[in-house]
Amino acid sequence: MIALLAEAPALPLHAAGKYVAGAYIVFLLVVLSYVAIMAVRLGRNQKELAELRALIEQRERERDETDSSRESEPVA
Amino acid sequence: MTTHARHLRGLTIVTAVTVTVALILVFFYAPLDANQGFIQKIFYIHVPLAIVSLVGFVLGGVFAVAYLRTGDRIWDMRSYCAIHMALIFSVGGLVAGSIWAKASWGHWWVWSEPTLVSYLIVILLFCTYQPLRFSIEDPERQARYAAVFAVVCGAFVPINFAVVRASTQFLHPRVLNLEGGNLPGSMKLAFYTSLVGIALLYATLMKYEMTAKATRSEVRRLRRRVLGDDELRPLGRTAAPQ
Repeated sequence: MIALLAEAPALPLHAAGKYVAGAYIVFLLVVLSYVAIMAVRLGRNQKELAELRALIEQRERERDETDSSRESEPVA
Repeated sequence: MTTHARHLRGLTIVTAVTVTVALILVFFYAPLDANQGFIQKIFYIHVPLAIVSLVGFVLGGVFAVAYLRTGDRIWDMRSYCAIHMALIFSVGGLVAGSIWAKASWGHWWVWSEPTLVSYLIVILLFCTYQPLRFSIEDPERQARYAAVFAVVCGAFVPINFAVVRASTQFLHPRVLNLEGGNLPGSMKLAFYTSLVGIALLYATLMKYEMTAKATRSEVRRLRRRVLGDDELRPLGRTAAPQ
């Protein structure tokens, strides 16, 4: 690959560089915008998952406390 | 790991490698075009984006047929994601083509050019897909009507392509034909690598979207189990399949 790049001709950016760059930047922007939207959605999902995890842990703690208090009660 | 997420990492790596190789081939291997010079490099991004987006629209129709046949909501999700991704790619292809037109013909848009205008019509047609879904509240009806729309419009794409292809008056260069096209070997290699790269990118992003939607519905399902139906925030009207 390095040999290929060394043999490659210099890009004639002075002539039509801005148009070619524009087209490829548009492509990049479209893909990046999509990835950014997906990242926001992923963040929302992670937040909801964290909420659910915290809620489940809290419920498990409460259940454990109830069980231990029941065990400590004297049996009639 | 959901069924959508399977092979996602491998697909992402293959896509990244292919797109990188394609860009290297386009800029450092393929020779400059004798007539257009450096501007012709836009061809390697514009044409694959256009081809992949059109195939994506047809794919949306094929998935919609599968939904209508089986009634399985996974096909509705696939159809939705295929059309959604194809729309995004078509916007990229349209803008890249417009830049090429400005550099090559001196105009951003040429209304007398059948290929351009027919491509715009296809995009505008599929732009109504999401508003159509959004306008129907009942998820079953939404999926069914959207599937019918996707089938009809998906069938329109190849017909439209064939009609424009048969047109005798055109400015648009013809790159591919049944005899293998008129590109020299090095340009052909760069072009086909770009085409494969863009197709892989389409597949990867579509798979990401389906994974995100599957995860979202899984989170909602868990929330319903943990909190009960009353605690679940209402979805409201949505265009996306749930």
